[in-house]
Amino acid sequence: MKRPGAPCEADLFDVASKLVDDEREAFLERACAGDDVMRQRLETLLSVGRRADEFFDEIGATLSFSGSLVPLVKEAAHAADLLGEEPIGTCIGRYKLLQKIGTGGCGVVYLAEQEEPVRLRVALKIIRLGMETQSVIARFEAERQALAMMEHPNIARVFDAGATKRGLPYFVMELVRGVRITDYCDQNQLGIRARLDLFVQVCHAIRHAHQKGIVHGDIKPSNIIISLHDGTPLPKVIDFGISKATEARLTDQTLFDASSPLVGLIGTPAYMSPEQAHLNGMDVDTRSDIYSLGVLLHELLTGKTPFDAKQLLRSGSDAIRQTLREITPPLPSRQLGELRSDELIKIAERRQSTPEALTALLHHDLDWVVAKAMEKNRDRRYETANGLAMDVRRYLENEPVLARPPARLYRFRKLVRRNRAVFAAGLAVAAALVAGFGTSTWLFVKERAARQRAVAAEHEEARLRHQAENREKISEAALLVRQEKYEESDELLQRVVLSQPSVEGAAVLRAVGGWYAIHGRWRLAADRFALLLTLNQRDGMDTATLDQLRYGPALVELGDGAAYERFRDELITRYTGNSGRFAADRIVRISLLLPASPPVLDSLNPLATVMTRLFTETHAAGDEFLAGWQSLSVALWEYRQGNFTGAMVWSLRSLSYRDAANAPRPTMARLILAMAYAQLEMPAEALMEFEQSRETIEAKFKTRLDRGTPIQGFWFDWSFARILLREATGVVVTPAIQP
Amino acid sequence: MNDFAVAFDGIKRSGRAAEELLPLVYEELRRHAATRLAQESPGQTLQPTALVHEAWLRMFGDGNCQWENRAHFFGAASEAMRRILIENARRKSRLKRGGNPQRIGLDDIELASATPNEKLILIDEALQQLRELDPEKAQVVVQKFFGGHTNEEVAVSLGVTERTVRRHWAYAKAWLFASIVGQP
Repeated sequence: MKRPGAPCEADLFDVASKLVDDEREAFLERACAGDDVMRQRLETLLSVGRRADEFFDEIGATLSFSGSLVPLVKEAAHAADLLGEEPIGTCIGRYKLLQKIGTGGCGVVYLAEQEEPVRLRVALKIIRLGMETQSVIARFEAERQALAMMEHPNIARVFDAGATKRGLPYFVMELVRGVRITDYCDQNQLGIRARLDLFVQVCHAIRHAHQKGIVHGDIKPSNIIISLHDGTPLPKVIDFGISKATEARLTDQTLFDASSPLVGLIGTPAYMSPEQAHLNGMDVDTRSDIYSLGVLLHELLTGKTPFDAKQLLRSGSDAIRQTLREITPPLPSRQLGELRSDELIKIAERRQSTPEALTALLHHDLDWVVAKAMEKNRDRRYETANGLAMDVRRYLENEPVLARPPARLYRFRKLVRRNRAVFAAGLAVAAALVAGFGTSTWLFVKERAARQRAVAAEHEEARLRHQAENREKISEAALLVRQEKYEESDELLQRVVLSQPSVEGAAVLRAVGGWYAIHGRWRLAADRFALLLTLNQRDGMDTATLDQLRYGPALVELGDGAAYERFRDELITRYTGNSGRFAADRIVRISLLLPASPPVLDSLNPLATVMTRLFTETHAAGDEFLAGWQSLSVALWEYRQGNFTGAMVWSLRSLSYRDAANAPRPTMARLILAMAYAQLEMPAEALMEFEQSRETIEAKFKTRLDRGTPIQGFWFDWSFARILLREATGVVVTPAIQP
Repeated sequence: MNDFAVAFDGIKRSGRAAEELLPLVYEELRRHAATRLAQESPGQTLQPTALVHEAWLRMFGDGNCQWENRAHFFGAASEAMRRILIENARRKSRLKRGGNPQRIGLDDIELASATPNEKLILIDEALQQLRELDPEKAQVVVQKFFGGHTNEEVAVSLGVTERTVRRHWAYAKAWLFASIVGQP
């Protein structure tokens, strides 16, 4: 055989195939210039053209690529394009787009309007990443409860998430009009004090979120918008919950390819904490936000980020990681010193200051505050956003900042500054009288008060240090979890007094409990979840509904019916009313895992009403993922009430929502359907549905369960399904066998 | 980070092709394919979309998905699909010539009497030769034909223009067919 396939053969083929008859003939004659072999090959290839097409079409058809991979690949292919742009007037969910108000690397933001249930203007942000939209929404959903609990004047609410018709995730947020914090400060030439006042407000917003268990994950000037309320600037932190849902992470691609859509999402690595930049940055916690706040403070003070954003981007991902991990950021005052003088003058002017005065102002206290917030080791940062805010406040009130290790001269200097007039007088008196008793006594009293404050601050510090040690153990436990050493992690956790709610501690408990559950050690699992729920509750937050979905099946599998009933009754009491609004379907579902008595059903009635209404809303919004789960809960509710036709209709409806065929939700729906059929005396249909779900569940449990994902179902979803299966066996199979 | 994400990172760093990814994708897809094939009644064919979708979810369902992974993933998935389809075809066909890619030309009658599975194997054998001579064109065949991608998608994945994909595909089809019917 000849050596075909040389590039020129393909090129000649390409040209020749577009020519006909004489032209082709002439072309080949000229192009092959006496190379008969080439000539012959080309003619062969050209002659089989049509038959080859038919041949491939025919075989291709048998491969049944009807759908091909198009829907999946589209997302990727279009991610770099202008995907995410939708024409004005389009309706997305129940929101109508009115106007485009911004484009960023990560997406497009629209002004949108909701007409029902109340007319409301919102910001709708379409994320144009080619990500698994369902996962983004599921992750958002997992955090929605917590997000809903945030109620703070400096936080813009995120209302909703969903998928556009083109399959991109979108988020609906409170509409905030204004400019980013850095621009606002510069445009209005705010002095350092005014800037610090705004910054403290931002810290308070972040603290509020942290208390609810929410990490922002992407604090940067463009996410802090200043709007004017009655002439007073009000900072609002936007995009809560979004960076987590979209799992923004630093990757090589995002850095090298400046056109990558991820660049915008991650923004610039300049605000990223070292642990966030780390490749497997999974255990990012509230302290990462503290770091970003430190960067923000640095920029508010100096007009520059500690590390230059563009330079970082140019250096590539490894260099970025190394910089963030190893290089100590320049202190604010030091950084000013390295600027060109004209630039420095401009920066100082924008702060109503002079280069010398500004540098002096930042030197020491503010330098230290920034440095402490930006510590590489997160254990050494401020423990909380409030701690950071308090230190800034201390600075504003001329009190010793915590960031500075206590030293006598420093405190004395502070004392003098606070009481400058008194000191001046005191010095005069001292000069005259050598020892002015009155004044010095007064000064002594003042100093004692200052010292007491300092001691109190040290106590606070000791408390925080103790907390930090606890945290360290929890971090270690978290590390063990990541190494899949669950038992060791659990053992370590036992030695920590888990009285303070902490996001990381909760995550460890969740993971360890889940591991015990997967291994069928239900007593240990249930205990962990019980503790987890107590901590959640103590924190006054109710992210808890997924955790409750863990606890319920664990108790039932353990066979502790009494504990389950207690848990259920508590759940119903706690969530009836406003706080259960977003999670009504989950609460109903978990409460009906086992058959319930009429009084229990009565007590669930209000939540069931909310649930049905929620379903109508989600269905209307086209949120299939959620609607599928909600209709499943309604089906169970109907079944438990003895309304078997209703149960049949609703489980069929749940089945009509798309989902991976073997996912737990359709399996549960099928089981309810089977039981409903059995009760309606349709044994054949009942048995068919029952068998199908039984096979799925048995196959799932044949190998050990894994933790699972929101899409394929978590272990507790499967556990839920298996509990239903046991019930269904009694309802469907037993009567079928008995005469 | 799971194995898969680690693999991705390694691939990007080394600048090597999606082949390194293949074992992982392949393993995933094959496991699903095996179940599917066992369940399927005769005459039904594999649904690559569903398979790939599931594989994708299994690997990225925990959120480790980023869009740039997709080009790699679909490249590897197409190759994995090719292997699965060919394995399947070999099992079901009389033509069990795997491992002996000695070309035997078929005349038109023989070709017409071959079953779709056998034709698939013939295409694949010819494809292996094309791969040696011109990997890029072979890659177009894998992604377009076995992976079911559109020209646009192949173009994105290979970083070429759509026009190039169309040209490669036209040439490759003629080349493969000529090779199958034994014309030099």
